[in-house]
Amino acid sequence: MSFCLDTYLQQSDDYKILLKQSGFKQCAQAVKDNSKQLVHVNAGEKVLGIRLIGIPPIPVGINPDKKTVCITYTKPCNGTSAIELPVSDDEIDDIKSKSIDF
Amino acid sequence: MKALLLLGCPEISSQTPMAMYTCSKLIDLGYDVTISANPAAAKLVKVSDPKGFYKHKSVNIDNYLDKVQDEDFDLIIGFVHKDSAATYFITYCTLMENTKKIALVFNRDQALVNELVEMVDESTDAYIATARAYHNPNPIKVSLNKALDEVLNNNED
Repeated sequence: MSFCLDTYLQQSDDYKILLKQSGFKQCAQAVKDNSKQLVHVNAGEKVLGIRLIGIPPIPVGINPDKKTVCITYTKPCNGTSAIELPVSDDEIDDIKSKSIDF
Repeated sequence: MKALLLLGCPEISSQTPMAMYTCSKLIDLGYDVTISANPAAAKLVKVSDPKGFYKHKSVNIDNYLDKVQDEDFDLIIGFVHKDSAATYFITYCTLMENTKKIALVFNRDQALVNELVEMVDESTDAYIATARAYHNPNPIKVSLNKALDEVLNNNED
């Protein structure tokens, strides 16, 4: 079964909230500040089972040593949060394959 | 013709009456209307129209991103009254590059209106209509009518 971020956030507690219920630009900066590597994806791209909402190009952070990724997570009523969570190597490869960086 | 109406968080009281008004206006203009919203905003629309007078299709704002394709619609109108609403509108616009777009930006705080206009303007080619309003839908209604006239070249009230 493929990874689903919505389910993961409801059922796990090993993720870190870098910035909570803020604006997209502030959360994109938090992703950049907390990531060793960055890839950029288009708005609406499916990453970790959700469509990323935001202003393209949307940064997705990768920390290979910790095997974590940092992403923005937006909901209409709660605004945008920046979160860091552990993922598999396959998910990291999947994110890299969606990069629009040239 | 098909139009997509994108709603934000329903915390602003003028959003639901403006959704009904916009739906009515678009139906009169000959559009099949789809309203994309989160469950809270969709429920307010549903309860406001118990007899289904303002005929429209209702879709979930997150799930519909899996389905929507460029050129599925002739027009997208987004209610942009907070940062998250702007980012959802920009995301939909990214996926619907060749669709006519109207961003209806409104809030009681003029500085926030200006900030949201800048966000939308930097990332889309949408026509941006603005109103400094919160409880009172009339300034938003006037702004929407002007936008529809400009974008659709339609002179109906």
